[in-house]
Amino acid sequence: MKVDEIMTKKLEIISSDASIYDAIERMIDKRIRSLLVKPRDEQDVNGVITVRDIVYKALGKNLDLNKTKVSEIMSKPVVFIDKGTDVEHAINLMTKFNITRVFVSEGREIVGIISLLDVMSSALIRRAREGHGA
Amino acid sequence: MVLKKVFGGNTEQKVIDSIKKHMQILYSASECFKNGLQELNKDQMYCVANLEREGDSVRREIISTIYEGAFLPFLRTNICRFVEIVDEAFDVLKDAASEFENLGPKLDQEIREDCIQIADINQQMCDMLIIAFDTLFDKGDLREKTLAIRIFEKKVDDMKFDLIGRLRNKEVKNFWEGKTLSDFISYLTHISDVIEDASDYLHIINLSMR
Repeated sequence: MKVDEIMTKKLEIISSDASIYDAIERMIDKRIRSLLVKPRDEQDVNGVITVRDIVYKALGKNLDLNKTKVSEIMSKPVVFIDKGTDVEHAINLMTKFNITRVFVSEGREIVGIISLLDVMSSALIRRAREGHGA
Repeated sequence: MVLKKVFGGNTEQKVIDSIKKHMQILYSASECFKNGLQELNKDQMYCVANLEREGDSVRREIISTIYEGAFLPFLRTNICRFVEIVDEAFDVLKDAASEFENLGPKLDQEIREDCIQIADINQQMCDMLIIAFDTLFDKGDLREKTLAIRIFEKKVDDMKFDLIGRLRNKEVKNFWEGKTLSDFISYLTHISDVIEDASDYLHIINLSMR
């Protein structure tokens, strides 16, 4: 199975200059656990800020959430794979980098995201279909 | 052996075959709905109403056969309820198709893509419901089929949450345009709930056969 068959196409994007509080609000409103951070300019690359970053790097260190910028705690560059790659490769990357989501690209553009939950759900659906012409 | 006793008779087999046919019609209706949505073709949506009528007639046949004496009495209520829930899915799908006929090209591209994805998940759920029903007789693991249905339902639920959030910021020209769009999304996203209810009933039927 290829990653584009199970990826989520909805990407929430935030500016690197936004505050961590903005990022938290966005995550809660959208019920998601990570945000793609926009590159500053054409030479720059995308970053990612996750709930894990916020808890470990901001809340755990008592940073001021309104004054600290997303760029100060985000991870960069992001781990991504081509949309035509096998899901097994995405699992290998998640294991290797100890991450729970991998971005999916088409050329140079990021077009989706695949999470551990997406992988697990698709595996369970495939298992349920086994022996029924799937 | 127990299964043979419970489902082995001719009338029982007739009911089982009709229930499968009922669900196949639901699958065809959801496929037809998805195609209509993809092609923005409201004329194609008429097939949903036609298939719903066909489903109605199969449902009446199933209920009559059950009350003519198919199945042990303690199973009849649950089987009838299951069939009625599947029929409710037809009704909701027909309502969604009817709202789409009013909405037509006013459904903007961004929302339409999500709606097509939801319609596709609904169709996959119908397929999984058929697989789950078959599992009642082939000793497969019903639990994993109902889990797959719950996973699909959760996906639709997440998409619904996101869609409603975006719809709140969408400008509508008048009351009826807003109401039609809102009803369309409500019906479209409610189908998965009904199919999940039907799969829960399969679980109850399975338990009551033990």
